[in-house]
Amino acid sequence: MAKKSVWSDNRFWQRSAAWITGFASVLLIWLTFDSMGQISMGTDADLQSGVTKRVPAPTVINYKITYEMDTKRGHEVPVIGEKEKFFGRDDWSEEEAASLLHLGKLGSQAKNCMNCHTLLGNGAYYAPDLTKAWLDPAWGPTGSMQAMTGKNTKEEAMAEFLQHPSTYPTHARMMPNLGITAEEAKGLVAFLKHMSSIDTNGFPRNFGRMQGAVNGK
Amino acid sequence: MFEPFVDVVPSFFGWLNQGPLTLTIFLHTVIVLPMIWIYKQEKARLEQEG
Amino acid sequence: MANNITSESKQLATWYFTFAAIIFGAQLLFGLVAAIQYVMPGFLFEIIDFSVARMIHINALVVWMVFAMFGSVYWLLPDETGIETVGIKLGKLLFWIFAAAIVVVVLVYLLVQVGPADETTIWFINEGREYIEAPRWADFGIVVVALGFVANLFLTGMKGQRSGIVTVLMADMIAFSGLYLCGMFFTDNISMDQYWWWWVIHLWVEATWEVFVGALAAYGLITIIGAHRKVVEMWLWIEVAMLFGSGILGLGHHYFWIGTPEYWWEIGALFSALEPLPLVAMFIHVLYDWGKTQGQEMGEGHIDEDHVKSVVTNKPAFTWFVLNAFGNFLGAGIWGFFHTLPQVNLYTHGTQFTSAHGHLAFFGAYATILLGMMYLAIQGSNGIKVLKHTKASIWAVSLITSGVVGMTVALTIAGYVQVLVSRAQMGATWAAYFDGQSGMWFAQAMDWRLVMGAVTFLGFLFLIKDFLSTGKNPVHER
Repeated sequence: MAKKSVWSDNRFWQRSAAWITGFASVLLIWLTFDSMGQISMGTDADLQSGVTKRVPAPTVINYKITYEMDTKRGHEVPVIGEKEKFFGRDDWSEEEAASLLHLGKLGSQAKNCMNCHTLLGNGAYYAPDLTKAWLDPAWGPTGSMQAMTGKNTKEEAMAEFLQHPSTYPTHARMMPNLGITAEEAKGLVAFLKHMSSIDTNGFPRNFGRMQGAVNGK
Repeated sequence: MFEPFVDVVPSFFGWLNQGPLTLTIFLHTVIVLPMIWIYKQEKARLEQEG
Repeated sequence: MANNITSESKQLATWYFTFAAIIFGAQLLFGLVAAIQYVMPGFLFEIIDFSVARMIHINALVVWMVFAMFGSVYWLLPDETGIETVGIKLGKLLFWIFAAAIVVVVLVYLLVQVGPADETTIWFINEGREYIEAPRWADFGIVVVALGFVANLFLTGMKGQRSGIVTVLMADMIAFSGLYLCGMFFTDNISMDQYWWWWVIHLWVEATWEVFVGALAAYGLITIIGAHRKVVEMWLWIEVAMLFGSGILGLGHHYFWIGTPEYWWEIGALFSALEPLPLVAMFIHVLYDWGKTQGQEMGEGHIDEDHVKSVVTNKPAFTWFVLNAFGNFLGAGIWGFFHTLPQVNLYTHGTQFTSAHGHLAFFGAYATILLGMMYLAIQGSNGIKVLKHTKASIWAVSLITSGVVGMTVALTIAGYVQVLVSRAQMGATWAAYFDGQSGMWFAQAMDWRLVMGAVTFLGFLFLIKDFLSTGKNPVHER
């Protein structure tokens, strides 16, 4: 009788499937522990002593954030600079900043931001990506969005827009009124500022580089 | 081919990630190699049964 | 219906299939609303906004597929184990709880839509996390229903004869249910949030759901064309090894840009690059087995090509199964591979490219085979020996397939515009985004997407007509 090949034997493939699945799962869990350590939020002490964290403490709202090319890593990274006022203060305590971020993150879910916008590139594609929205030149001192809302700071302009989005249309496709209160808007802006400080390995590329360009020219 | 590791925080997996494909070749190898052992066991079993 | 069914498990399966078909309709309807809004932004503005329409579109997608998956298991269990499903009374009760919960959740989505920025919204209105928006109370309901379902499956599998297919399903379904728990917590850290969110989404659709499809395809080949169980189950184990081998660590391709370390670039890119391989294997497997059993049939005395009997005992179901083999490979495999490498994904991440892939992959990998399972249930319920195509079933297959493929092509073109204009050229800002959206190629692609969406919906109407009428049609062999 001819010998049966191992390659057409069910038991061989069953055991191989079990081994591969089990081992891949173990590797994933190990990698997850490693990643958890790297993406847990930093502390205020880290910020004060200049320790770089992938996800900084909520008190990062007290600092100026820029997005600069890192030649060693070959892509842009958020850089946390000197102190910067956020809603008139640059001394938000750890508790205050944390509760503001908490409100903002809850708000981002309660208002269903992710089903029009993308956050860190994930969500729907009906409205602009919000990953680095805080760093968008349009909201800056010379930006069209800040001018449109008639406010003097980036955070106030953003908060104003969030509360009355359909008053300030930027496109035929408008953001609807979601009943965002003044306090919630403040939280959401803090959430956006914090998100812009997350090290996203260079995503999005060339963000805000093309200042003043019109229609791709 | 071997470039210095530039990730923010050093880690075991970051250390294996030393250039094109080093990390993934390592992981694929440790997943596939034990199948040789499973193969040999099953071959022995089939021979015994046959 | 259901007059020819003696098994209670199969009867329950028809309930699940019926509810799934209704929700499938809701998915298409709200997809159309969202597609119209791309073309006419004022449509239902501040009544049913895009966010609401899109949330229902994708939630209905997940729900009808889960219902059809549960239905498929209840349908095949008596055949595979040789016994009636254990705990069928509980199964029936859970069906009603599940269906009622879904109706309440959708009504709240539609009528309440958003809430204040506090925990009550997360608990009672929506969680605002794409695909798993269901509020927390419903999460717990889903966990209870899933546990009951898994218990039924395990008790039946352990009591009856446990085939390879049932063994795979048991392992797969416990992982499928367990993974849902990863999406049931709140954190202020958006990176942490998305890390675990992907455990649910990716490990569902690119690992456990794919293995589920492998098991269904195996069952389908045995029941529809009488393929050899031993060969089919060997392929199933190879597929499990390849799907989980590439899919579990392929999770890394979602960890390129969410704040997670750089080593995920390499892990995500090269494991997920292998994800198409098992899909090619499944495609070859289905067509190979078809050819082989048909060849055997011809070998057994029916030399004349013209008078040889087809081995396919359920034409519409098998059409959907073959479309699954092709669509899974094309939609999940090819369209996924397009943008799975980080060098490409840096620009395609978060564009219509993802949406193109999503449409073809969910359709090709899951919708097709689940519709095929529904046809198997129609055949069984009506005691039909050979179920044939009707005009309606052919129209349904053709219109739905060409509609989805058309949407995919349109969205791919829109994605290219977005990648080139908004991302590569303009640098991803608010202004860059709208520059891309205003381009002629983008706008026309969105027009075509709407047209193709309407074609898909028309196909759905034919499908429902066929579901309701084909059982009584005299063309079938009884």
